Amino acid sequence: MSDALARSEPVLAGHFIGEGVTIALAPPLTRYSLRARQAQALETVLKTKLPKRIGETEAGIACLGPNEWLLRAPAGTTLPMGAGLPLAITEISERSVCLIVEGRRATEVLAAGCPLDLERFAVGRATRTVFETMEIILLRTGEDRFEVEVWRSFAPWLSRALETAARQLLRGK
Amino acid sequence: MRRPPPLWRTEMLLIHCPYCEEQRAEIEFAYAGEAHIARPPDPAALSDEDWTQYLFIRSNPRGRHHERWRHTHGCGRFFNAVRDTATDKFEVTYKAGELRR
Repeated sequence: MSDALARSEPVLAGHFIGEGVTIALAPPLTRYSLRARQAQALETVLKTKLPKRIGETEAGIACLGPNEWLLRAPAGTTLPMGAGLPLAITEISERSVCLIVEGRRATEVLAAGCPLDLERFAVGRATRTVFETMEIILLRTGEDRFEVEVWRSFAPWLSRALETAARQLLRGK
Repeated sequence: MRRPPPLWRTEMLLIHCPYCEEQRAEIEFAYAGEAHIARPPDPAALSDEDWTQYLFIRSNPRGRHHERWRHTHGCGRFFNAVRDTATDKFEVTYKAGELRR
């Protein structure tokens, strides 16, 4: 049914390109929230291994909390629901959008609003945190590449904030 | 005109989350009241005074204070902390359900 609907994104795609930093909207993704007290129950249903330590990522699954994981996969992926088992597999694809901050100055742009120590935030890490006062999920997918998951309604604000940070940085403040 | 730097760029209190096992900025956390307050097993049996005591009366010390915090913008977990209310220094944080430190 949703195929018949026109997709509208809260921010323009590919909207900031500067010296050493680009900010772009990621293509639509499938996202699932995975919750279970026992990770093993989820592993049995999904037939994959889950990262056990908070902040780790394995095969597109990020461990956000002691019983919480975020799965990101190409659009259209579907998962079994695990009916009857003590776990929750919830589709949350449209809850958030993803902005990709890339380039050798990406850490500096993010540091303008994010209190994490990004120098020590290794490639492959993922965590929920804040940017200015917005809640985000930050994933480091490369040395110079970060993916920022943000709730849809916050996306225009976040993209404006990131752009402003990037502009100020490039102007040398 | 340039905005002044936000507070967390200049003065940042770091709190150790016992679940994430990391020092994280205070703005990721939310305070959740005094810790180790046990709900009476049989509330109906309590007198009004005892119920008032349980609901509203808190120790509010100057100095060492046991309190609950939640890593709201992080792992989402509640945990306990010992903080000095005069200096705002966190002495220790530990997981919910562990014994009072």
